[in-house]
Amino acid sequence: MSSVALPEPHAEPGTGKLGMWVFLASEVLFFGGLFLAYLYGRTHWPLGWAAASRHTDVVLGTVNTALLLTSSAVIALAVACEEDERQRRWTARLLALTAALGSAFLAIKGVEYHAEWREHLFPGPSFALDTPGAQEFFALYFVMTGLHGVHMIVGIAALAILAHGRRHERDWARADHIEIAALYWHFVDIVWIFLYPLLYLVQRHG
Amino acid sequence: MADARPAPAFARTARAIGIAWFALVVLMLASLGSAWLKLGAFNVVAGLVIAAIKAAIVAWLFMRLREAGPLIRLVAVIGVGVWFILIGLSGVDYETRALTPAALQRPQQLLPVQAAPQPR
Repeated sequence: MSSVALPEPHAEPGTGKLGMWVFLASEVLFFGGLFLAYLYGRTHWPLGWAAASRHTDVVLGTVNTALLLTSSAVIALAVACEEDERQRRWTARLLALTAALGSAFLAIKGVEYHAEWREHLFPGPSFALDTPGAQEFFALYFVMTGLHGVHMIVGIAALAILAHGRRHERDWARADHIEIAALYWHFVDIVWIFLYPLLYLVQRHG
Repeated sequence: MADARPAPAFARTARAIGIAWFALVVLMLASLGSAWLKLGAFNVVAGLVIAAIKAAIVAWLFMRLREAGPLIRLVAVIGVGVWFILIGLSGVDYETRALTPAALQRPQQLLPVQAAPQPR
């Protein structure tokens, strides 16, 4: 049987891009454990989950969701600009804008945390709500949003450095590195896309 | 970083990104509105289905799974697939295990669960 070289529909991806995808797959499992804990709590203490969720700030949560969705679109545009020589002058600005939107997200999250701390919604002896499960909800709320926030800080730092490097036309701030950073940023956005209905929108009616 | 397919024209890509962003914001508002409807168990279903559509838009268009080769698509599917398997296996364990309070839990926190019939 003679061997025939089959046409390859897709070239092999670069190691950096593939490495980021493998890392993101491991991140799915990293956050996945917390989502399992959430599933357990919500099915065992539905009333506590609903009561606690009504104490989250849905307006700020929605504004933050819009900010992150917008930041994802902006960084996708930055990657597209980098690939087109005529648009390349926009790349650094769009990366900086993405980092700024991420920073605004964290600032709003800080305002939320501050209000929740004042309202005794941080788990502990003086926790404000009596409904069973409410405290577990807020424990998960702080762990999940906190872990997401740590990922945001890493992403903002990476994007700010890339924006600076791209602006000064450094070799390391090249298209494939920008695309890899964008993949990470989009993943952080996807995590928030699921956190938003699960934490802020459990049961707003009633 | 070689992609076999040529990159689409910038204007077309930018328009697709704009449309995707608009769809994401509309879906976010739909998710927000659905939380005020009395749908019972379907409240969470609606929230998660909308979130899944939003995540698919981000992954397919922004993360370029649409243009990716089989290797990257496989990695993406394995990441989510393994998570579903682990959720299923862990769920079997948690659903068939009797609850006992941990030292840090206040007794009243377990009452609603203990009132329910325990698995044999």
